[in-house]
Amino acid sequence: MSSPSWGAERLRIGLTPVILADQVAFLSRWGRYLSIRIGIEVEFVARESYQSILDLLFSAQIDAAWICGYPFVRFEAELSLLGVPLYHGQPHYRAYLVRSKTRTPEVQGWADLKGRVLAYSDPLSNSGWLVAQAELAKAGVSTRELKRGFFTHGHRNVAEAVAARLAHAGSIDGYVWETMRAQSMPAVARTEVIWKSEPFGFPPLVVRKAQASPQVEALREALLRMCDDKVGRDLLASLNLTGFARGHASLYDSIRHQAQRVPGSGLEG
Amino acid sequence: MLRRLPYRVQIPLGLSLAVLLAAVLVTAITARAQAQNARRDTLSLLDRAVVLVIAQVRPLLVADDTWRVFSLLRDTAQLVPGADADRARLAILSPDGAVFAASDPVKLETGRQVLGEAWREQPLLSVLEVDHRKQLAMSDGSVVLIDPIRSEDGQILGFVFTEVEAAAFAPDWASLARTALIGILLAVTLLGPLGWWVGKRMARPVGRLVAVIERIGRDDPGVLRDDVPRTTDPELSRIGDAVEQLMGELDRRKAAEARALSAERLATVGKMTAAVAHEINNPLAGLLTATQTLRLHGSTEAIRLRTIDLLDRGLQQIRTTVAALLPQARTEDRPLEPGDLEDIVTLVKGTAEKQKIEIRYQVEVESALRVPSAPLRQVMLNLLLNALKAAGDSGMVSARLQADEARVRFYVSNSGPVLSVERFKCTLAAESGKDPRGFGLWVCQELASHLQGRFELDSLETQHTCLLFEVPNREAPESQS
Repeated sequence: MSSPSWGAERLRIGLTPVILADQVAFLSRWGRYLSIRIGIEVEFVARESYQSILDLLFSAQIDAAWICGYPFVRFEAELSLLGVPLYHGQPHYRAYLVRSKTRTPEVQGWADLKGRVLAYSDPLSNSGWLVAQAELAKAGVSTRELKRGFFTHGHRNVAEAVAARLAHAGSIDGYVWETMRAQSMPAVARTEVIWKSEPFGFPPLVVRKAQASPQVEALREALLRMCDDKVGRDLLASLNLTGFARGHASLYDSIRHQAQRVPGSGLEG
Repeated sequence: MLRRLPYRVQIPLGLSLAVLLAAVLVTAITARAQAQNARRDTLSLLDRAVVLVIAQVRPLLVADDTWRVFSLLRDTAQLVPGADADRARLAILSPDGAVFAASDPVKLETGRQVLGEAWREQPLLSVLEVDHRKQLAMSDGSVVLIDPIRSEDGQILGFVFTEVEAAAFAPDWASLARTALIGILLAVTLLGPLGWWVGKRMARPVGRLVAVIERIGRDDPGVLRDDVPRTTDPELSRIGDAVEQLMGELDRRKAAEARALSAERLATVGKMTAAVAHEINNPLAGLLTATQTLRLHGSTEAIRLRTIDLLDRGLQQIRTTVAALLPQARTEDRPLEPGDLEDIVTLVKGTAEKQKIEIRYQVEVESALRVPSAPLRQVMLNLLLNALKAAGDSGMVSARLQADEARVRFYVSNSGPVLSVERFKCTLAAESGKDPRGFGLWVCQELASHLQGRFELDSLETQHTCLLFEVPNREAPESQS
């Protein structure tokens, strides 16, 4: 993820499993693209867990982070929006419940998960944990009634776990699952969606509050204008996105309200 | 079939076949050994895989991280023989014996109780019984290993459950066969031609020896000796020495044959000289008697003319005999006449009178005689002289000349001891080589053969010895002269 060396000053952006961030060549191209437009070297830092990226952000080891809407609302007092990706032109996405493709599927919905194994993505993921907690509660299934629930440290791994039948079902980011399907990943072919959530605010890019600086503003502008040139559009297409918007904290009201209803979410009222 | 091939092809071909056979045997033995080691190797590999899993899985179990345990098992299972064919699987069991995560979640689903439950219709050990590694041989031939995972302070964190189906222990015959085939092909491709080349090189002196032996008798032995291959091989050296010895023996034999031929020629010349002397000497006694008669009774006209005529015929016989021995001197011979027998009897009469032997003779000629007179007179004279010799003193000799249209026969019998057929044949054989005095009978035999007749003991006569000389009543063959 190195870029042309323009000196010691550089911008570091943290990535979480909200995107398929393990494509080194793509991140290198994206970093070079942003570096040219900002005039400062841009570097991506990927971690498996949301918490790790938040720790880096709060300790000022990175300048910006692409996190989920749930940690944004949870740490809203310390974070401000840098930009919100547009998926099919909208700053929204959905959470999916997926199951293994079998001839006699055992799981038809959340209520069938009693006594079964459920795979989550990350404890700070909206679609990969918070939604599952809310829907299980709605279905009257206590997490203690699951045979087992475990985190896979990424939405992609949720699909892998369900495809291998390590878990009967998995709670996954709909955008990630669709992007995997678009890239014809084998795990998606062995899973199927049995439930989709209401639209939520798309996982945003955030910076620390009171971190306003010319470089951060330049980064925001570069992101917002990616859809204006062909290279930017190609990069967005690789991300299965259509652009970036400034966004507003109200986009995440539904997540906020949901978190307030889930015990242990950190926002419960 | 191999034995029908030339030796110099047999050796390289045999060597090549030996190489091929060795390659096949080595490959077969190697394959067999590999097959026998397959189970041990599989268990050994399993052991290492389990050790690796235990070392890696401890922190993951402590962190209750199912996904990472699954990832570890999925990757480690690739090391286990048979996992790719779904014949082996690994699982981490929680301390209560249920599946925490497995490399094959379809067969070992997450959360399933394993320890203390039936597995492949066979009860497994309970959690408390697994205090160290347990290896279970299942009834279907599969092997189950259960290893406890302990924390540093000895607390059970879980178990590694490893199962390998019986088929995974079976040798991969297809792979072994493929390897064997490659080995054999390499041996045939590389060692086969090498074996052929070495064999050809080994057999080359043999080929050269064969070529030398084939030329023995045709080429100069000196040249052949130079062509005998010189080799350090003791066996081939012995063969080469034997060939050279053979050539030496042949040389010596050839020289001996030449010497023997020369000696035989000399003997033949001597024999012929003796025969000529004998044939000339035979009528000489009669002719001398005739000259004596002429000297005593030459005043009588009739006796003188008859004696001179006798002398003339006797001398003519000698001349004809000599001419027959000299191919360059062709002499016309007259046909035999009935009076020739009387002539011959007159010639031997002197000898007979000395021994007081009575000679009786009889002429029975029914047809014109066409046989040449010289050989017949010679035969009659020889046989009469032999009969006189055999009859002994005061004996009796009978002669009979018989002729018809087809044949001319001359019988001579004597009153001496009876001669058996065997004795007659022995006499003939002895006379042919060793007895110079008895050339008469041998000459008769030769003349009978030449005139396409026969000379033998008359089998009808049993009281006396009677010899029969019989020839066709026709002119002598052209070659007589």
